[in-house]
Amino acid sequence: MAGTVIGEGLSIEGDVSSEEEVVVQGNLRGKLTTTDAVSVGSSAVIEADVSAQSLTIAGQVTGDVTAAERVDLQAGGRLIGDVKASRLTIADGASFKGNVDMDV
Amino acid sequence: MMRHSSEGSVLGPSTRITGRISGEGAIRVEGGLKGDVSVSGPAEIAEGASVEGSVHAESLEIAGSLLGDAVTRGPIAVRAGAVVRGDLRGSEISIEPGSRVSVRLDTQVELDLGAPRRR
Amino acid sequence: MNGSVIGRGTVVRGNVRGTGSLEIFGRVEGDVSVSGELVLGEESAVKGSVSGSHITVSGAVQGDVRGSEAVLLERGARVVGDLTAPRIGVATGALVKGLVRTDGEPALGAPRRAATGGARPMAFPARPAAPAPKPAERAEPREESESDAPPPMKEPKAAREAPPPPVVPALAKGAKAKKKKRED
Repeated sequence: MAGTVIGEGLSIEGDVSSEEEVVVQGNLRGKLTTTDAVSVGSSAVIEADVSAQSLTIAGQVTGDVTAAERVDLQAGGRLIGDVKASRLTIADGASFKGNVDMDV
Repeated sequence: MMRHSSEGSVLGPSTRITGRISGEGAIRVEGGLKGDVSVSGPAEIAEGASVEGSVHAESLEIAGSLLGDAVTRGPIAVRAGAVVRGDLRGSEISIEPGSRVSVRLDTQVELDLGAPRRR
Repeated sequence: MNGSVIGRGTVVRGNVRGTGSLEIFGRVEGDVSVSGELVLGEESAVKGSVSGSHITVSGAVQGDVRGSEAVLLERGARVVGDLTAPRIGVATGALVKGLVRTDGEPALGAPRRAATGGARPMAFPARPAAPAPKPAERAEPREESESDAPPPMKEPKAAREAPPPPVVPALAKGAKAKKKKRED
């Protein structure tokens, strides 16, 4: 059960910092940092740098992404930005533009 | 007509008073009062009653109408059908939904909006 | 139904707005505005204005709270700011410092600091003779009592009885009334 859910109709402009799981289905513009997992839903539009334990992306992220563990870019997901993670998967049907640094 | 019991005074529903009321004990206003009230005990403005003036009392319960300030040592309770306009100051203030109010509450509030959370 | 949650472990520094409902258990430093139901949980803290349709507050708010349907403060709520809504409830144990106004009611005027006993300022040249009630420029009509003595504003102590305020002197033709100093 996620600690924080930014639902589809919600927009946040600013910095979000958390110690719990964050699910984004709405809009975020700014910065997102959590020590737990981030799940970006298919309806989500994120214009922010994201730093998390792990990241699952099914929506749109424009910004640099840093994960302690893994980043999973799912079909339908779209990531424009650099990725720094020890593991990265990009599914068929996902779209990605950026640099990858797996030397973590 | 004003009744006075050992517990306090009552201004009945047909009573209209213009002037100041002060004294010991409780007061219950069921009629109309234009003037300030200053009593040492609890005050009550009954449903249908109206007070235009300030109220100083131990506590205050408003079911009718108060146009004026209230200062109490104890609690102030605004009931659902009340109409209140003025500054309210008491140890505890409660307002029931359904009341019509335009009041200033000056309670001491300490906000701890939190130290930044440990990351 | 679109329900969002800002969890206990989350801090948002920025504005939050949108459709649907929102529950806040963490902290927001910024304005919150949703079209749906808004619940500010017990340990929540919002520093900014808050608006929603039906707002329930159990936490801390530094900012105005405006509900298009209702604003309800539960025990434990601490609000420094104004409350506005068609229906407002403030439960026993909720603390508010600010203006509380249900829709349709006139706004209060500037705070009249309770005089500790003393003359009321005389201001209106056109009014001679006995102390006249102040014209109702403010939304809170206050009738002067019949007696000249000022009502005790703090504790009802008869001992604090100050000398009765000076009656407004009848003005000589052409004279302007001087504004008397308020004795404190």
